[in-house]
Amino acid sequence: MNVVLQVCESHLTPSCVQYPVVTLPFRIKVKNAETGAAVEMELEEENTIDEIIESAATFWSKDMGAYVLRKGKKVLRGGASLRDASIRTDDVLELIPDPEGG
Amino acid sequence: MDGCVRVGATDDDRLDRSRRIEWLDLDAIARARVLMVGAGALGNEVGKCLALSGFRHVTVVDMDHVVGSNLNRCLFFSTEDASARRPKAEVVAKGMRTLSPDMAVDPSVSRIEGVDDSIYKEHDVVLGCLDNIVARLHVNSRSYLAGRMYIDGGMEGLLGRVMVVRPPEGACIQCGMNRSHARVANLRFSCTGRDVVFHEPRLAAEITTTSIVSALMVREALKHVSGKDDMLLSNTLYYDGQRNASEEAEVPVNPDCPVHGRP
Repeated sequence: MNVVLQVCESHLTPSCVQYPVVTLPFRIKVKNAETGAAVEMELEEENTIDEIIESAATFWSKDMGAYVLRKGKKVLRGGASLRDASIRTDDVLELIPDPEGG
Repeated sequence: MDGCVRVGATDDDRLDRSRRIEWLDLDAIARARVLMVGAGALGNEVGKCLALSGFRHVTVVDMDHVVGSNLNRCLFFSTEDASARRPKAEVVAKGMRTLSPDMAVDPSVSRIEGVDDSIYKEHDVVLGCLDNIVARLHVNSRSYLAGRMYIDGGMEGLLGRVMVVRPPEGACIQCGMNRSHARVANLRFSCTGRDVVFHEPRLAAEITTTSIVSALMVREALKHVSGKDDMLLSNTLYYDGQRNASEEAEVPVNPDCPVHGRP
């Protein structure tokens, strides 16, 4: 977070009106629906739901399988960025397995 | 005189107790044509529920044969079927006819990808009892294009999911998939693109979850065929037998979904 802020401050001059959009990191909580465990993640708005799923599945050493992430009752689209998905700081997302057996 | 009633007649009517559920349209159910894709664990239980619910026209598609490890969760399979490596579609069809002798059950021993797409329009509702993502995507897209409701079930251990796809509105199976699904789907293919079943993970499966997921699937089919779409699952239901929890969830339409983008 400090690195990002420093970069921003170094460009705070009138000539930098065209400065690229700055994305501040923010924290969310991801819950493991199977165990009830939770982990905090520091993310930027450009991160995608796919990336959160992969990070969480890796963190919990989950088996290779299909998972979805949901916020409340809404299943989040994998390719969507956090901005697209309207994810805000302190949001709680839930990682749930998407069972494929038949 | 309003007619003659024979004492005990209601006890001879196999669907008498079903008739007492007012919203069930048993005539429509008897007329409806159901395509059931997959005759494994879910297929057995779905087939049982279809047969006992009064459906009379069912097509069962499955390419596989019975093996011993199916027997912990498949009502219609026996050790003899496993020894003889009998086709699942044929065994399930026979079992359904045993439960409901008036049924016309047409088994097709083939991969669903090899079946002509006209089959979807020939049926009123499609039930997906599949065990892999690639086949699900195939049936999902064909059903959607044919304008037929697709009810998909999935399970693993004590977890289950039922999704109802209702073209032309709402999300489909593909809308809800992400990179983790793609990774699993890719496992089934070799570098030549041919299906290689030995890459398929052996998923945990048992009968209680199978029964619950299957029953939910057939119940949604009963609602649809009975003209009660207002009672349908709005989208997806997740079931967790470990926590005794079930929750509906909404899968939004993916604007990039190729199924919705087709003409």
